[in-house]
Amino acid sequence: MSPDILDGSMDIWFGPQHVSAHGWATKLTLVGDYIVECDPNAGYFHRSAEKVLEFKNFRQGPLVLERMCMLEAFLAEYPYVAAVEKIAELEIPERAKVMRTIMMEMSRIHSIQFWWGQFNAELGFFTMALWPWVDREYSLDVFEELTGSRHTVSFSTPGGVKYDFTEKVMTQLNRAIDRFEDRLVKFKDMQLGSPTFRARTENIGLYDVKQGLKWGLSGPPIKACGVPMDLRKDDPDPNLAYDMVDFDVPITENPEHPGQSDAFDRMEQRFAEAETAVSIIKQLIPQIPEGDIVDPKARGKANRLPEGEAYARVEGTRGITSVWLKTEEKGQTAYRAKIRGPCIASYYALKDLVPGSKFADFIVIFGSLDPYPGWWDR
Amino acid sequence: MGFFSVLGDCFQILKHTFRQVFKRPFTYFYPFEDRIYPERTRGRHIHVRENCTACAQCVRICPVVAIRMDKEDKMYEKDCALYFDYTRCIFCGLCVQACRFEALFHTPVVDLSEGDRDDLIYGPDKIETLDRDPLKWRGRRFR
Repeated sequence: MSPDILDGSMDIWFGPQHVSAHGWATKLTLVGDYIVECDPNAGYFHRSAEKVLEFKNFRQGPLVLERMCMLEAFLAEYPYVAAVEKIAELEIPERAKVMRTIMMEMSRIHSIQFWWGQFNAELGFFTMALWPWVDREYSLDVFEELTGSRHTVSFSTPGGVKYDFTEKVMTQLNRAIDRFEDRLVKFKDMQLGSPTFRARTENIGLYDVKQGLKWGLSGPPIKACGVPMDLRKDDPDPNLAYDMVDFDVPITENPEHPGQSDAFDRMEQRFAEAETAVSIIKQLIPQIPEGDIVDPKARGKANRLPEGEAYARVEGTRGITSVWLKTEEKGQTAYRAKIRGPCIASYYALKDLVPGSKFADFIVIFGSLDPYPGWWDR
Repeated sequence: MGFFSVLGDCFQILKHTFRQVFKRPFTYFYPFEDRIYPERTRGRHIHVRENCTACAQCVRICPVVAIRMDKEDKMYEKDCALYFDYTRCIFCGLCVQACRFEALFHTPVVDLSEGDRDDLIYGPDKIETLDRDPLKWRGRRFR
């Protein structure tokens, strides 16, 4: 880039006050209507969660994690619990495994429902913003009936889960799933068939697999390129019940640009993710075994852990979510915890992805990567 | 998409709108009426002082140090007075799970707003009962 082009350039701070900015601030350098430079700045949401985890015991720890991302609260708190279980060598009852898996997929559905609304609102399609949010209410009703809280579910504990499925919870769950499955077809038709939406998102924010892997993307942004990279299949957790169900990794392949994904493909990928989640829940509901929901010895074992290290990861809604935990002998709290959120990779990918596109397309590109600021400022 | 199909869609929408006119509103006249909360709702606590043994497990497990206990204040043989700071409480439910003597419960009361910050620290007089002044509006009594 020759310096004389930059003579007439203008710097714009996008965020952190802007509503679509999700609480981040990005410095954009514009020439005319085109972005020539993008400088992402994380740090506006920093809550020192990793340090806080050093002062919380192993039953309080998941509460910190679930506040990282309220939309997928159960998925967010699970890696910490799994790491504690690995160090303490706890046995998980079969019933708890299935319940965890159902709640995980329910969190995924809830998160995707919220993202549809948010992304469509950013694009200006407010009808499609509010319709998925009606179904989101039904998902929230399930969480509320099961745990007593709508967002911060606080459902899992080392050794199992805290709340049992009652008949009323199952009624709510079936109602939410059946309704969503029915409406999903209509949503897909409405969203992907809309000529305005197609014009706004097709060939916007195009990247290929090689670039995506270089930036460290995972989850739907990379699956939209046609790569079946999914921890549910690649590295199944023994404490979850994904081996009990039959499902294919949802991927999206666009014949117009194979191996690449644009904003439209990433929206299509979210539909595929939701369909898979619905099918997993539907397969698991008849298979819930009877028994305990928590290991009775877990409470004593999780009070003080032996010395050890553990790394646990899970396929979150936005990508790989993982926690690395180190404990000292007879430690009541973690010696050190490291959280890896999925969105930090997609945020810094903007640095290479955005330059060359129009200013108006910036929010389309970023929104399609499903940003959540809690994940990049731990 | 011909002219008649668009017209048909318009009538579909109008039919939907017309039907809503005769339906019960989806909104509530809050705070005078409210929806029914599930049994497990993690709202404000209630302290059953007869069962309390002052074991302090709730105080120890609380991740945000929202509970304070006063062992001097005794009504029964072993009990104590609890002070809940609702400016700090995150309603995680750990204190209720820690209590093995059925002395601490969540209630489905979730509206805790007060005019003064200090009023949100619930002392023994407020945490042991669910009684409060009824809400009145235009001479009618609600809730």
